[in-house]
Amino acid sequence: MTELTTLATFQCKQQVIRAVRFNVDGTYCLTCGADKKIKLWNPQRQLLLKTYGGHANEVLDAAGSCDSSQIISCSSDKSVILWDVTTGQPLRRYRGHASSVTCIKFNEESTMAVSGSVDNTVAFWDVMSRRQEPVQVLKDAKDTITSIQVTDHEVLTTSVDCHVRLYDLRMGKMTSDFIGHIVTFGSLTRDGQCYILSCADSTVKLFDKDSGEILNTFTGHESKDYLLENAVNEKDSHIICGSATVIIRQRIVL
Amino acid sequence: MSDADSDEEVLVQYGTPLEPYEEDDVPTKRKYQQPADQYAVDAHGRRRFHGAFTGGFSAGFGNTVGTPEGWTPTTFKSSRAEKAQFSGQRPEDFMDEEDRGEFGIAPQVLQTQNDFSGQKRQRRPQYHDGPIPGEPVLQQLVRAVHETAAVRMLRAMGWREGQGTGERLSSKGKKKAREQHKVYGCYVPPELRQNQEPQDQQDEEEDSSDSEFDFDTLFAPDDYEPYLLSRKNDRFGLGYSGLSRHSVLGNLVGEYGSDAGSSRSHLVMKDKGRKVNIRGQAFGVGAFEADDDDIYATEDMSHYDFTIGGPAAKPERKAVQNKSGNVLPGFVKASKPLPPVPSYPAPALPRDYTPAVAGARRTRFEPTAHKERDQGLGRHELTAKARGELLGEETPLPTPVTVTPTNIQPNTQTDKPKDPITSLLGRNVNFTSEKDKELNYISIKDSGKEITKVFKPFVGNPAKQARYERYCEDKTALERDGDMDKLSEWEREREIVEFEQAAKLYKPLTGLMGDRFTHAAQPDDALNPLSAVSKSVNHGLATPQQLQAAQQGLYGVTTRVVTDWRPDGLVCKRFNVPEIGGRSEQKKEDKPKVSYSIFSYLESSVHDKDSFAKEQGNFSGSKSIPTAPKTQPNDKTNTPIEATSSKDDTIIQATTSKENNLQTSGFTKRLTVAEIFLKESEQNKNQGAEVTETINKFDKMDLYKSIFLSDSEEEEDLTKKNEVSDFIETPKNVERNTSPPRGIFANIDFDELNAWRRTDNTKKEETKKPENTILEDKQEKSEPVEEMYGPKIPENLQNRLKPEVKTQTSIEIGSSSSEDSWVDANELKSKKKKKKSKKHKSKHKKKSKSKKKDK
Repeated sequence: MTELTTLATFQCKQQVIRAVRFNVDGTYCLTCGADKKIKLWNPQRQLLLKTYGGHANEVLDAAGSCDSSQIISCSSDKSVILWDVTTGQPLRRYRGHASSVTCIKFNEESTMAVSGSVDNTVAFWDVMSRRQEPVQVLKDAKDTITSIQVTDHEVLTTSVDCHVRLYDLRMGKMTSDFIGHIVTFGSLTRDGQCYILSCADSTVKLFDKDSGEILNTFTGHESKDYLLENAVNEKDSHIICGSATVIIRQRIVL
Repeated sequence: MSDADSDEEVLVQYGTPLEPYEEDDVPTKRKYQQPADQYAVDAHGRRRFHGAFTGGFSAGFGNTVGTPEGWTPTTFKSSRAEKAQFSGQRPEDFMDEEDRGEFGIAPQVLQTQNDFSGQKRQRRPQYHDGPIPGEPVLQQLVRAVHETAAVRMLRAMGWREGQGTGERLSSKGKKKAREQHKVYGCYVPPELRQNQEPQDQQDEEEDSSDSEFDFDTLFAPDDYEPYLLSRKNDRFGLGYSGLSRHSVLGNLVGEYGSDAGSSRSHLVMKDKGRKVNIRGQAFGVGAFEADDDDIYATEDMSHYDFTIGGPAAKPERKAVQNKSGNVLPGFVKASKPLPPVPSYPAPALPRDYTPAVAGARRTRFEPTAHKERDQGLGRHELTAKARGELLGEETPLPTPVTVTPTNIQPNTQTDKPKDPITSLLGRNVNFTSEKDKELNYISIKDSGKEITKVFKPFVGNPAKQARYERYCEDKTALERDGDMDKLSEWEREREIVEFEQAAKLYKPLTGLMGDRFTHAAQPDDALNPLSAVSKSVNHGLATPQQLQAAQQGLYGVTTRVVTDWRPDGLVCKRFNVPEIGGRSEQKKEDKPKVSYSIFSYLESSVHDKDSFAKEQGNFSGSKSIPTAPKTQPNDKTNTPIEATSSKDDTIIQATTSKENNLQTSGFTKRLTVAEIFLKESEQNKNQGAEVTETINKFDKMDLYKSIFLSDSEEEEDLTKKNEVSDFIETPKNVERNTSPPRGIFANIDFDELNAWRRTDNTKKEETKKPENTILEDKQEKSEPVEEMYGPKIPENLQNRLKPEVKTQTSIEIGSSSSEDSWVDANELKSKKKKKKSKKHKSKHKKKSKSKKKDK
């Protein structure tokens, strides 16, 4: 286990930080705070570059576009806002969700945003056009959507109803896997073959995408009631996940 | 035409008519501009700008300096006799006259300088700090007086201060206007006015002295005098100003006098040449008047008549006014007292009254008129006892029994509730009525069926509502329902459609909301808010097997569910993923292209092909349906009906009209194909195995058709030719409008045209494809038919060959599988033919005319 060292710490002064996101090449960093603001940072020099204000409630998630010209964010004010990075002005405001929007992602070309909400729906927003309604709404989940991952042709959603759903756009199939525990976060490995699921039973589970079989279960941290995220390093060798009690945990996959 | 002419004579047109819109033109919102409007012109109507740049400056005669020479160059000349005069050029030399006008860039009008106009908001003046600080005294004294824009405009129109606005009046009219001006508020009653009129006349006579010389001059009207309300500062009654104690000479006496300068004598002597008229306040009741019995009147100088000479005519008249002493001037005392305003006490409401909107529901989609109530609110109005009785607990327990609201099931509520509630509360509390036990709220548990009870779209018609409810329970119930027999078939279909829509309309809400709510895992314990909330896990739609498998860690097949999911087209586009199943554009193509042609509106009832065909089917198809449908191999149930119906039509119509051969060829093919298909299928009725073969054959034929039948000219000719010989056999064009020709077709004799055409065709025609000809008697045709290729048969031979041809020609047109596309092709073809036939017509016309001329 390699030691993780803190490179930099910066004071956001945003009360609770709901999400921290790097942009596409890792040169910028976004923090979503409970103070209804999004802040754009230069993480190397701990510089605050811009503050984006306009949400009416806590900002729960944000994502930068592939050309780093736009930011899309979602909030518990039920709205999704598309921001212009340079001017700091909201370009669009989508109000299609009936409840807090918990997670949001751009697709690869940043032409479409996918948001998941407490109203159990996943909505596709067309960022290119001026359309205000969602292009498509997925209503398969029976409880809150906790996370979304978008690849070039797949959308992975995890939900509090203990299901992980993978929507394959090419095949036109929806694969729903019952996990048995509340899934707080799901991510895909770099090779796109496995899910890594953070479950509420203080485990991280590794699933095979094709067969739906469990490959490994990682324990040792505590999740409590937190919505802990996980990620995998670029070599697919380690999983990093959050923990409620101690520090960030690192797991060896294979 | 004569009508139109007379219209033009009668009507008067104003303005320029707009250009009529073209048929397929989209009207723009741009204002219509005539070319002439687009030039800028000067005051004289001359075009202002011209030259190379139409919109730019231009110099030249007409709108330059004003000289005929325009810009003539000057040379410097100086001689001993004439010294050159140095003339400096001023900007005005280069200006047009308009520029110096009122609205030009350098107006030459006397006007107040900006500082004095008072128009602009005064800048706060800055005072220099001299020995005397502050605003200069002179500036305080002298203020720039400014006028409002309205005043300036009025001035420009010739108004002067002190005058009124409006048309100039003669002195008589002015006087009249003045009289009218005096009426404020109420209008003078007519009898009073009549009383006044003679007085006016008299006044006029009096004034005639000064109006004699200017009877034909006009005067400006009087200025408007605002009716100023003066403050009341005495304690007299309203409208009464007490006799002020002026002395005759005008000095106030006693308490009234406050300022000597302001007082005027009430007795004014006017010398108008003839007699001295003295007017004054309360001057009228003379000392010798009989009816002066005002005992409270105080003796005053003004009581005396000061009129010198002349009869006392006026006092009499004024007495009329004075009789009604305490009435405002201009008012009369009412002869009858006003009836007192009646006041009625509010009626006592019955005990069980619930306020509701008057009247029943106006539309069936209106929500129920019953007062919507929150479930929770109603609950609080019930006492514990009432709730207990609701639940059927006979004896209320000594300890307060609490009934949690979740236990109140809607069904048990409605079982026997009415009487206890109403008796306890004296009015309807929660549930609307006894008869229909309907719920005002939707319980989450039983959505679906219960909903239909809540929403009653057809309340107005109880029988229909009953049918609707039955329909909601079982969609097929209506078909075998005895109640429906009363309705006609059409009505029944209509109603089913209506029910479908209503069910659709009222369901989705629950469907939508159902997704967003889950059942409470625990009873909502209203009593104990501090009870710990146990965590519950929502397993979604997981089956028990899945739960078990997940518990054992046996993930895989059991826990996985793969369902079809169709991404939206736009989503696919944005993700750069090919859309599944290709693009769904076929639907759009299926829509008929709407043509906005006049002809499509000539016959409104028939312009829809489908409806027309359907009607045709209704008329004639009923006889032949029973034989047909069973024999059809698969999806071709429609064609035989059409075919048979059209056959019937031909029999009916062929005798009556002969003009059907212009556009029929396309449809002829289609229908005959169907007929033959019918025949064949009848043959194959017993031989089930051969059915597939015929289908194959038809598919081949389809290919054949697509290759050969597209060139329509020859076919057209052929069919025409055929119709000459035996047009009784040709089925009629289904779409054909059989109504007598009208409009521009009214005077065209189609029969003649067709007759001419037939003969013409027979002469001209050379090409024939026998495989396209229509069989004369398909009834007898039994053999599988063959195609005949090769060169066309000469016409003279054709007649001889005919019997053979009849037996040999094959019409294996019409495949079953690609009927739709085939129809489209036909339509296309028929369209083409229509165009052609139009052309033909015009040619025929010309030719027929020339023929007539020849004759």
